[in-house]
Amino acid sequence: MGSDPAKIKAEALSDFSKFIGPMKVRTMKAAGLDIIEDKREGASVWDITGKKYIDCQTGSGIMNVGRRNPDIIDALKKALDTYDIGVFLLCSKPKADLAKKLAEITPGDLKCTIFGVGGGEANDAAIKIARGYTMKKEIIYAEKAYHGHTGFALSAIGRDAYKEPFEPLIPGFKMVPFGDIEAIKKTITDDTAAIILEPIQGEGGINIPPDEYLPAVRKLCDDHEILLILDEIQTGFGRTGRMFASEHWGVVPDIMTVAKSLGGGIYPISATIFKEEIQDFFIPHPFIHLSTFGGSDLGCIVGMAVIDYIQKHNLLDHTEKMGRKFRAGFDSLLKEYPSLLLEVRQKGLMMGLQYTNESIGPRLTKKMAERGVIAIYTGNDPSICRLMPPLVITPEEVDFVLNALNDSMKELSKEAGLGKND
Amino acid sequence: MATSQDILEALADYQVQCNENQRLRKMQRDWSKLLHFVAEDTGDKFTMNVVKGEIISFESGTNGTPDIIVTTTSENFCDMFWGDLNPSQKYLQGEIRVKASQEDVVRLDAITMIIWPDA
Repeated sequence: MGSDPAKIKAEALSDFSKFIGPMKVRTMKAAGLDIIEDKREGASVWDITGKKYIDCQTGSGIMNVGRRNPDIIDALKKALDTYDIGVFLLCSKPKADLAKKLAEITPGDLKCTIFGVGGGEANDAAIKIARGYTMKKEIIYAEKAYHGHTGFALSAIGRDAYKEPFEPLIPGFKMVPFGDIEAIKKTITDDTAAIILEPIQGEGGINIPPDEYLPAVRKLCDDHEILLILDEIQTGFGRTGRMFASEHWGVVPDIMTVAKSLGGGIYPISATIFKEEIQDFFIPHPFIHLSTFGGSDLGCIVGMAVIDYIQKHNLLDHTEKMGRKFRAGFDSLLKEYPSLLLEVRQKGLMMGLQYTNESIGPRLTKKMAERGVIAIYTGNDPSICRLMPPLVITPEEVDFVLNALNDSMKELSKEAGLGKND
Repeated sequence: MATSQDILEALADYQVQCNENQRLRKMQRDWSKLLHFVAEDTGDKFTMNVVKGEIISFESGTNGTPDIIVTTTSENFCDMFWGDLNPSQKYLQGEIRVKASQEDVVRLDAITMIIWPDA
């Protein structure tokens, strides 16, 4: 293989197609996103051919502190002088340090942690803990929910297409509409162990619940001795302008799951954080849920560096400011392109653009890619574009994204097929 | 502009291509859908019935409640069923519109990829 970037790219795409999956390459090419990531910095990523993109997808929110954040890289490099992954059965200082830090920064009396590698694993652990602790079986979850593709988490996904080929799944899972407290009331039984929700649905289309919803769910859980699991995997670590989205509504779950940005885009790690009384389940079963790579020493050191960075650089305030700047731009787009843009859903830098029909999402994704912005429609609904840039995005980069949106919409508004999608 | 007969001939070839491709049949064996095709320039409409990955029928006119509605020009339909155009490209240009779940949109593209890998 030579050093010609175009040739390297072509070979990489060809090998990816042959050895990983042809439809992935085909889909990415069609969307103008057949990018081979090369240099990464802040809110930007460069294709191997040199084209620069502002990354508003960020692996659905794993890069809150920016891509290849130098502080996080330094922490990992320094850790490598001493540490490796560690032996999962043994106790470790980095694990203890991060668990203690998570207890400090999570709301209310969340205190104890089980570490994992990814978000699905964290939700698996949460659901297992809920069943084990309550000795009840039923789990209530929401339509359009996304909790990961592993066993228990998959059973709680609110999208049939992810589940149907693998049925029968784990029994005892009951789906309700998101945001509908009455539906939960009707679904609760004496055997309900937990309700699992995202405070704001990400994959589902940036669905923000009514203000009274989460507090009402909390009260229902208290009244019926049901555990509340909040999945903050996309919403956590400052994404919405608070350290955790549940803080917007003053709700403390019994179990919180976090992942994605805890690893700073550098090293995978997840955590299932729960109240102290739930620890009683583990006293007689200390080794009932294990993860070889979960909470590795290196991952825990990276997690600590991420939290330190967010706090030291006031990223929550910056997120609020950049969120307001985006909002002002979105308001102009709403006025300028009412035939394309129906609604904006936003908390901080968790943003969703609801288009007027489902053909627009894929088409705008392609046009944005042409203009140097990675902004992809959600899997659950192609009429919604999810924007989750790094929280370190600069005002100039926000303007760049907004200008790309404006230019893309201007071009699209002159094209065919914007009527009813039938 | 293509006639209704042109599209029916293209559909007949498409049916043969799909049904004789054993890899595709195996891949799509969990896929049963009723599709409507609407030619926006001529007003011609067609129905295709796919059962467990096999195209068991197609006909003029729309029958039943469709799972998928594909709308484009008569010419695009002919080109698409003959394998002479890349439907993903036309979809992203707004020239082909598909009313369906995302999963079914991907399935349609997968069929094209298997039958005409170079399209």
